[in-house]
Amino acid sequence: MLNVIWVVMLFSGIVLGLVTGREKEVSDAFLSSCSQAVELALVMVGAMCLWSGLMRVAEKAGIVDALARLLKGVFRFLFPGVPKGHPANGAIAMSFSADLLGLGNAATPLGILAMKELSNINGNSPIASNDMVMFGVINAACIQLIPATILIIRQQAGSTDPSGIIPCVWVASFVSTVTGIIAAKALARVGRIPPKYGAGNGKRLKPSDRRG
Amino acid sequence: MMDFLSNAAIPAVVLLIVVTAYIRGVPVFDAFVEGAKEGARTAFDILPVMVGILAGVAVLNGSGLIDMLTGLLQKPAEAIGIPREILPLLLIRPFSGSASLGLFSEQITRVGPDTFLGRALSTIMGSSETVLYTLAVYFGAANVKNTRHAVAASLISSYAGMLAAIFICRIIE
Repeated sequence: MLNVIWVVMLFSGIVLGLVTGREKEVSDAFLSSCSQAVELALVMVGAMCLWSGLMRVAEKAGIVDALARLLKGVFRFLFPGVPKGHPANGAIAMSFSADLLGLGNAATPLGILAMKELSNINGNSPIASNDMVMFGVINAACIQLIPATILIIRQQAGSTDPSGIIPCVWVASFVSTVTGIIAAKALARVGRIPPKYGAGNGKRLKPSDRRG
Repeated sequence: MMDFLSNAAIPAVVLLIVVTAYIRGVPVFDAFVEGAKEGARTAFDILPVMVGILAGVAVLNGSGLIDMLTGLLQKPAEAIGIPREILPLLLIRPFSGSASLGLFSEQITRVGPDTFLGRALSTIMGSSETVLYTLAVYFGAANVKNTRHAVAASLISSYAGMLAAIFICRIIE
């Protein structure tokens, strides 16, 4: 999917830029984006170290397990392929908590850790499992209690009630999360190959995928 | 109050983790360094993914494609109740974080933060995420080549949330 999207993005951007005479903008954008990526990644190295380290501490202290036990029922439904007591449960729980609290720089590293745990369950296959897709979709739906950056921008724009949008944000996030869960479950069913016909069209699934 | 809550969240979480671990006899710093080493490796693994995605997004932004799409989609969008001031944000939001934040900051001062448009724009920004980037980074870190239905499901989820945002803001106007 990303292969197709990437080609479409580059192709349509470059062709349109050439046709409308914006070749200079496109060229500049192309070159400046790689240094921007390095800057972002360097910031990420620090955040990744910090939160992976703290995550390890929390794991050893049993906090991660406790959090995972709390969310057990929900996880059975969302991630049926994750075995009971597997570290992925805790990693997912930590990642969702960070999202919810809006811990900005912490949310991405913790999400990556959880995705890697899910990938381990999937035998580190290059094909995503249903659980990995579900995790990605819920994470991208971004359930956040306090959208701090947006509130600050509203305040700077002279709002008399910057935080007045919070209930609306909650409802919209809820709608997008629930829709995402339904879409992920429904599309997983469509994309799956019935076991008795065997794998045919390149979407070869592992046994762990079929369980859910 | 809001500022305090969002600023205090990170220190509070760190304090909780470190104190609990210390009380339970975990060698806190050793465990931290062990985890951090792994984090550093992962971060470097993601760099190539980031370069690719950001290059694609930058080219799209520079080419003026969004302006063109806005012009094309204006009529049909207004027919289903999407104001034309909001359309560019809807188009760019799932693909580029920096572009959508820039667009949002500029739009909100123009339409006023407490108008219907201002609140709808804020709600969209507050309740959505740069879907493509998030998925690319997560799946890239896990070395997944075939993301199956992840992008499709995420875009459905994202647009459902953004349309819901416009709808809610219209009701309570």
